Amino acid sequence: MNDKVLHTPRDLNLFAGDQPHLDGPFPSRVEANPENVERGLAQLVLTIVELLRQIMERQALRRIDGGGLSPEQVERLGRTFMELDKRMAELRSQFGLDEDDLNLNLGPLGDLL
Amino acid sequence: VIDLCAITTAPAPEAAGLRAIEADGLAALGAPAVEREASVDQLWQREQLLERLMRDCDLLPVRWGTVVEDDEVERLLASRRAELVHALDRVRGAVEIAVRVATDEQAVTSTAQLYLHVKRRLAEIHAALAALSRESAEIAAGRSAYLVAREDVDSFVSTVAALEEAHDDLSILCTGPWPPYSFVGT
Repeated sequence: MNDKVLHTPRDLNLFAGDQPHLDGPFPSRVEANPENVERGLAQLVLTIVELLRQIMERQALRRIDGGGLSPEQVERLGRTFMELDKRMAELRSQFGLDEDDLNLNLGPLGDLL
Repeated sequence: VIDLCAITTAPAPEAAGLRAIEADGLAALGAPAVEREASVDQLWQREQLLERLMRDCDLLPVRWGTVVEDDEVERLLASRRAELVHALDRVRGAVEIAVRVATDEQAVTSTAQLYLHVKRRLAEIHAALAALSRESAEIAAGRSAYLVAREDVDSFVSTVAALEEAHDDLSILCTGPWPPYSFVGT
């Protein structure tokens, strides 16, 4: 496997927490049976929320780069997005979803996120 | 019954244990299907097989577990010919390079300033690498795949090294070359 590493990072330990997982090798579908319907629905809803979160975050970064915001406003924006990011991670783990699960394949348009 | 592993342009390169079924300029490569569970070892063997094939041709990796009746294969190649030819054109002469950017998690979520700083760096690094590749895909935060022309891989990797050098709070892991897994979807 080592021969696949083209550039060794400064701190390899930062990547060591990722265990290879094979629990979901196939694309997940929204399964509509009583046990899964909640998770399926959560996946769909969180996907939309994550899309909006990313769009807003990019927009915020653009506004900050454009200047005109006070340090307090920048701090507030940053804190908001940081908290949203944390909450999303919590919600994901509550429903046993990976970051990759919060994406939709839109056929010829590619992936949603 | 055949377990497909790759689609390529005919004539397909020879490979031990693999059968090539050709139709109208396309070739499907596969082995007789056997019942088996997906395991890390099995998937790694498949990976190495694809990588050997990639030395001699451009290919579309087929999803693990795609099992087709022998006489269906030709029909499949014929009925989806336009789509497959287009997909092969898309990856021709290119390989997938995976890039992961990581930073100390605790540090990122400690202050708003730092959070925004890291998000901005991630976007900048992605943009710089996307400019060197034919296509790019963001898989998750700090995790991206790039479709890079074979002859550009070396300069892509030196750019990764330079980007890491320029940001002493980030670590960048770069792996490959991989079959174009992230660039074969419809």
